Amino acid sequence: MTILRQALHAAMLAVLVLCGSALRADPAAEVIRTWYRLALELVRHTPTYSPPVASRSFAYLGVTAYEVVASGVPDRPSLAGQLNGLTALTARDAHARYDEAAVMQVALATVVRSLFANTGPSGQRAMAAMTARLDARVAESRDPAVLAASRAYGATLAADILAWAVTDGGAVIDNMGFAHVYVPGTAPGAWQPTSLIVQQQAPLLPAWGQNRPFAMPLGSACPVPPPPDYSEDPASAFYAQAAEVHATTTALTDDQMRVARFWADDPMLSPTPPGHWVAIALAQLAGENADAGRSATVLARLGIAVADGFIGCWHEKYRYDLLRPVTYIRRLIDPTWVPLLITPPFPEYPSGHSTQSGAAAEVLSAAFGARPFTDTTHVDDGMPGRDFTDFRAAASEAAMSRLYGGIHFRAAIEQGLLQGRCIAAHALRLRMGDN
Amino acid sequence: MRASLAIAAAATIVLGLAARAQDMPPVPAFLDETASAGLSHVFGGDWEFIVGGGAAAFDCSGDLKPEIFLAGGVNSARLWRNDSPTGGALRMTAIPDSGLELTQVVGAYPLDIDSDGLTDLVVLRVGENQLMRGLGDCRFAPANADWGFDGGDAWSTAFSAMWEAGQTWPTLAIGNYIDRHQDMFPWGSCTDNWLSRPAGQGFAAPLPLLPSFCALSMLFTDWDRSGTPDLRVSNDREYYKGGQEQLWRMEPGAAPVLWTEAEGWAQLRIWGMGIASTDLNDDGYPEYFLTSMADNKLQSLTDLPPSGPPRPGFADIAYQLGAIAQRPYVGGDVHPSTAWHAQFGDTNNDGRADLFIAKGNVSDMPDFAIRDPDNLLLQRPDGSFAEAGDLAGLADMRSGRGAMLADFNLDGWLDLVVVNRNDAAALYRNTGAVGGHWWQVRLAQTGANRDGIGAWVEMRQGMRTQRIEVTSGGGHASGGLGWLHFGLGALAGAADLPQARVIWPDGVATDWADISPDGLAIWSRQDGLSEWAPPE
Repeated sequence: MTILRQALHAAMLAVLVLCGSALRADPAAEVIRTWYRLALELVRHTPTYSPPVASRSFAYLGVTAYEVVASGVPDRPSLAGQLNGLTALTARDAHARYDEAAVMQVALATVVRSLFANTGPSGQRAMAAMTARLDARVAESRDPAVLAASRAYGATLAADILAWAVTDGGAVIDNMGFAHVYVPGTAPGAWQPTSLIVQQQAPLLPAWGQNRPFAMPLGSACPVPPPPDYSEDPASAFYAQAAEVHATTTALTDDQMRVARFWADDPMLSPTPPGHWVAIALAQLAGENADAGRSATVLARLGIAVADGFIGCWHEKYRYDLLRPVTYIRRLIDPTWVPLLITPPFPEYPSGHSTQSGAAAEVLSAAFGARPFTDTTHVDDGMPGRDFTDFRAAASEAAMSRLYGGIHFRAAIEQGLLQGRCIAAHALRLRMGDN
Repeated sequence: MRASLAIAAAATIVLGLAARAQDMPPVPAFLDETASAGLSHVFGGDWEFIVGGGAAAFDCSGDLKPEIFLAGGVNSARLWRNDSPTGGALRMTAIPDSGLELTQVVGAYPLDIDSDGLTDLVVLRVGENQLMRGLGDCRFAPANADWGFDGGDAWSTAFSAMWEAGQTWPTLAIGNYIDRHQDMFPWGSCTDNWLSRPAGQGFAAPLPLLPSFCALSMLFTDWDRSGTPDLRVSNDREYYKGGQEQLWRMEPGAAPVLWTEAEGWAQLRIWGMGIASTDLNDDGYPEYFLTSMADNKLQSLTDLPPSGPPRPGFADIAYQLGAIAQRPYVGGDVHPSTAWHAQFGDTNNDGRADLFIAKGNVSDMPDFAIRDPDNLLLQRPDGSFAEAGDLAGLADMRSGRGAMLADFNLDGWLDLVVVNRNDAAALYRNTGAVGGHWWQVRLAQTGANRDGIGAWVEMRQGMRTQRIEVTSGGGHASGGLGWLHFGLGALAGAADLPQARVIWPDGVATDWADISPDGLAIWSRQDGLSEWAPPE
């Protein structure tokens, strides 16, 4: 049985356990995994959920789960005072008793339903059903006073975090994130629309790099060096990297094609790149039957690193405003060339998947070590799992997949990975009781 | 050229649209006669009726004027007898005891299944689908048991039918949506589509069409003019995993097989909701309009070979022809649209197929237009489309779903019925446009397949040949049967005098025959073409 299957079975077991008669050792951990499983689906099926938006929600989900844990035990420092803009959170009543699963359930249910308030009718129905069933289950055999206190505190904590979240610059997504009016740059290397979809004549989320980061001080905290100077000279470095994309993509091996599609992680057709790494983390946590503290710590740190990764990457994308390979190659090398993957509708440099994968791999390496694993995120979509020696190897493959897919030049890939490592260092410095 | 192809295309479109504002085709005037016609109906329901809401137009009273059947969701479905005077205001009378007063109905398609000359009705439901046998005088009775048809227990949302070579009973394809019992994790729960092939005087056990990807429209169509229709399936990417649009190769007696990328099929993943088809560019091959959310698709075969069959590769030409219908064009809502039923028809009788699209938010989705007007895209002489929904009186902001263009009063102008979710259905009379002529014909065969499903009717005028493929299926949960409508334009001179012919489903073609403009005709395979006029 694959790791993802194990994870999904664990999540299903969580539902069964919480809806059945038996109780596992740490039902709060199962509440986390069950809501995360639903969040992975909601990311895929909520129209505004482009990868940056998904990363933001996973960060807030992780922080919420972590603060539930941290508020109840002395050895987990709160992230208040560590994350930008997060001041002191409401503390628990020292004289009250709480049930951790009940606190976790109300807090996560509240935050998920807020972050995905704009999802479609099936998502709304799923959130309502999940809330009702988990509410009922965590209430079984609980002292009413404990339950009431737990629910009240979970709701208060969620409200605190949502109040913080709404001020970060990324809370409102209009027109799916595409500007209503956009004038493309006039420099010869400036990004140009690559799609015939009307909305995508403007690039995605041009101001995302100005959002408030979580752990790093500013979106500019981890800059990348400039890409090779734009040139149409066949002897130039820029032309050479375009020629590399063209040559590679016109002679793809079967495995390169599989790699490109495996890491494509298209919005609305997958849990997006941030969700891909969350799925990897969930599988690892399920494999070791992690408790709520461990699960929340890993997922919070991962979410923070990846969300900061997108802010940092987007900051640089719109600083350099570079065109995509399809624009350059059709202009100068091969007018009929078609990349394997759908070219994302925003500037090329650096590569978002590379940055966030670089960040995610650092966090998971710190949490789990350099362990081999099988990534089965896309088994349900008919793609078999892929084996990796460690998380950094997976991140490197994710980055290179963008060249195979014909949507990035090499410089964006290499610098993206390095930027991700820089950004992850901020998340790894957070004091969360595991370091 | 330094500007990208995309920017150039966008600039061309913008400039072109401005220039074409002076080039609006004649606009037909649709009058909302819902109330005066006596049509009062609501397709209603919650989650299980976010899709569907079909309309069917077909004659069951014997006067050859199409009646209207409307799905009701949690409300009772209803059949409306067409009592409209010829050429006059529309008048519909609810039939309280037709036998079609079913609940949980999603959509319906008329078809003479048993070839007895009385139209039957395929009723798609949440629950057991029903084949309703026409008894005459607009009475119907359940026929699943008599015909050995397994109605299943699913959320059925798509249908198409054809007669396979040598068969006296049709092959029925039914598309099913998600597992309605999955409340927490409905995604990835697409249930099997079914193919019911003939067996004796009825049907064999249904064959699952695997993989199934939550079909919202199906259409047997002879896309490559091989003489054997294949099955196009438009699927909702909201719910499938690993899915895409599909084209099943249908060979008599063989299991259906999907066309593959190696054979030229290109992966397309959209919120597929409806299929409309017609030959827009007169090349003999159908184009396909696929409704979705935000940008819709208009597909045309690429790389037609000088000889031999084409490969199933399609280019999306919606953008260049102005047929995207991506967001509301009036009303001020700037969010993307949600498109459902689509249907080609020459609404202004200028000789070029126009496109009606029913629009409506799925269910309180704030990132899509809530006030989302239906579209009427009028085709220009250069093949591009001009939005005229508001000018024609069709910019209805209610939540449209199914619909049917049909000439309800037999005056030669296509009228329209639109089903709105959780709101009243609308009935419009087309009072015409300037200068257009028309011709309508019904096909008739003895034996099996009385209505000639799978035939092609061709109309040539001067240098042009219009074509209509006679199909059963497509749209969004909505189907029609009966008159095939051609616009003839202004008929400026002798060179414009039209001739028509039929290529029957078995490939046998009639001779070209002169036709009488502004008239109705019945083309009998046995007796030939004869003019027909409704009784006074």
